[in-house]
Amino acid sequence: MALVAVPLLMLSCIKAEQANTECDIEAVSLHLETPTDIFYHEYDTLQTVISTVNDIVFVIRSYAHVQSVPVTFRVTSGASIYMKNDDGGEVPFRNGSSIDLSDERVLHFRIVSQDKAWSRDYSLSVVHDAPGEGDLSFGFEDYHLDASGKYYIWDAPSIFPDGEWKNGNPGFKISRSSAKPLEYPSTPVSGGGPDGSDCVKLETCDTGPFGRMVKMRIASGSMFNGVFDVSNAITDALKATQFGSPFTHKPVQMTVWLRYERGDDYWNKEGQSLTGVWDEPDAYVVLYRNEDADGGRIQLDGNDVLSSPNIVALGRLPHHYNEDGTDKLSDAPIHGVTNEWQEFTIPVEYRAEIDAEVLANNGYNLIIGFASSWQGAYFMGAIGSKLYIDNIQLICE
Amino acid sequence: MKHIAFTIVALFFLSISANAQEDRWEKWGPTTGLKGGGFIARIGYVLGGTTPIPLPAEVRKVNGFSPRGGISLGIDGYKMFSKRWGISSGAHFFWEGFHTNADVKNYYVWLEQEGEVTKGYFTGTNVTNTEMWGVTLPLLATFRMSPKWNVSVGPYLSIYFHQTFSGEVYDNDQGIGYLREDTPVGAKILMTRENPTPYPDDFPDRMQPVALGIEFAFDWKAMKHMNVFGLLDWGMTDIWDRNFEAITFKMYPIYATMGVAYRY
Repeated sequence: MALVAVPLLMLSCIKAEQANTECDIEAVSLHLETPTDIFYHEYDTLQTVISTVNDIVFVIRSYAHVQSVPVTFRVTSGASIYMKNDDGGEVPFRNGSSIDLSDERVLHFRIVSQDKAWSRDYSLSVVHDAPGEGDLSFGFEDYHLDASGKYYIWDAPSIFPDGEWKNGNPGFKISRSSAKPLEYPSTPVSGGGPDGSDCVKLETCDTGPFGRMVKMRIASGSMFNGVFDVSNAITDALKATQFGSPFTHKPVQMTVWLRYERGDDYWNKEGQSLTGVWDEPDAYVVLYRNEDADGGRIQLDGNDVLSSPNIVALGRLPHHYNEDGTDKLSDAPIHGVTNEWQEFTIPVEYRAEIDAEVLANNGYNLIIGFASSWQGAYFMGAIGSKLYIDNIQLICE
Repeated sequence: MKHIAFTIVALFFLSISANAQEDRWEKWGPTTGLKGGGFIARIGYVLGGTTPIPLPAEVRKVNGFSPRGGISLGIDGYKMFSKRWGISSGAHFFWEGFHTNADVKNYYVWLEQEGEVTKGYFTGTNVTNTEMWGVTLPLLATFRMSPKWNVSVGPYLSIYFHQTFSGEVYDNDQGIGYLREDTPVGAKILMTRENPTPYPDDFPDRMQPVALGIEFAFDWKAMKHMNVFGLLDWGMTDIWDRNFEAITFKMYPIYATMGVAYRY
């Protein structure tokens, strides 16, 4: 009797389920009769909202106008949606109700969890696309600490649609809670640039005990435009880095100042030292088609950022490749980046014709990417490899 | 659980034959008369688990449970002071453990490794494996209910020679598996069974080397020298160090043993 009693005890005493504590907006959709009159892509009307985002922004065509639009939120099960008034009060929001989103006005919402103990504030706005002039230049002068005060964020207003560079720092925070802001893989160096201005340093770092637990022993320093979705950082790290944002010009070349200090001990994913292999930095420019034949979104991530068939143009620091096109590790790199600052010119080579109509309609995404370990996405590299970057110029046709 | 133990005792009382003969008491008694003593060598199968009591609300569903190990070898000495009352004590060497797979919701985890802390609320599937090698030293009062039936109860001390405690977390059958970093509104970090996140390997170092509890036992004298026995070791002390923050609730070892014994 006692023999069966213990498992029975465990099975029979499940308590009543507690109310949900979460209060996320998981997705938002705007309902329009003819979406592509307003948006560049049909898929732009639906946004999945990653858990770290609080400001939801829809980008519409520069000349388009929205008025009152039915909005549907998908929120955590059981959570309630409140819309804030201008006077600071709030009223329950009925999903699917129309909201005046004209003139880029910013609306504020509060989501309250099922158990009423937690809430999150969100903003929602529809902004007009501001097509750039084409040529871009940036020097990593504008940076600040994130809301948690743990790591740095670099601003790139009027360069990328969301106005920010992205990197793996939010993922590093999970594994190395004790790290100071300047101990993260992507950090600013005040006055460290070739001209004495601020530059950025990407450093391949040890992810510590938690990194070892999930076989992600190193974190390459990184810098790119797009989205870093920290939710995938452990399960599928290659998917966490979602590269690129819409761009309406044809890049011809990137010039950039680089300096590299190579870490000595090259590790494979298991943390074993590989002899005869040197770590290498990476820097690249990619232009890719962002919509498939069925109108679906194409988003390059760590799996295919440099290998996707949707890439139409590519420029990259030189590396060795195997005959099948895969990356070849070696002890004689040809990237040419040394411990002294040098200006590099990376030409962008086109593989396919660019459709001017598609280009003008945000049909291509531009990626500008850097890494302190070129195989860092696969958790291979040398701790202590440092790539310093400054004064990037992207020249367009 | 205590209800069950009391029910067993009550059933045994009912089974006492009202007209039991004195010679039957002698025949099935200790080796010398009614007040003697002797030894019982036991071999048994151990089954049980280490569990919070009651199960916290965070545990939504137990998907699976299976024993690990499950061997007990013991020797007890006993001494009867009267026809019905006596004491016994001894040493039971055991290898026991279990594997369990449970769905949890908003389960607070606090993991520290080499000064790094990861904490938050996990929702998904939690797998736990534990095994313990050790010895239990019971001191029991024995009540002889009938010529062939003895029941005993008393405190015990368990000393562990070796303990393991491992496990991992990943998504449940609905594909839901994630940690909310720090609070329920923190970053949502997905966990999947393709890439499960294991427990840190220092958990066994944070387990108490000893446990105290209450043992309930019965012996049925099947043959002149052979007993069939069952006992339940109900742990009353938390298996974890008091300052171990990774698991916020107390967990108790509750293991039952069923077997045969040689009685002398």
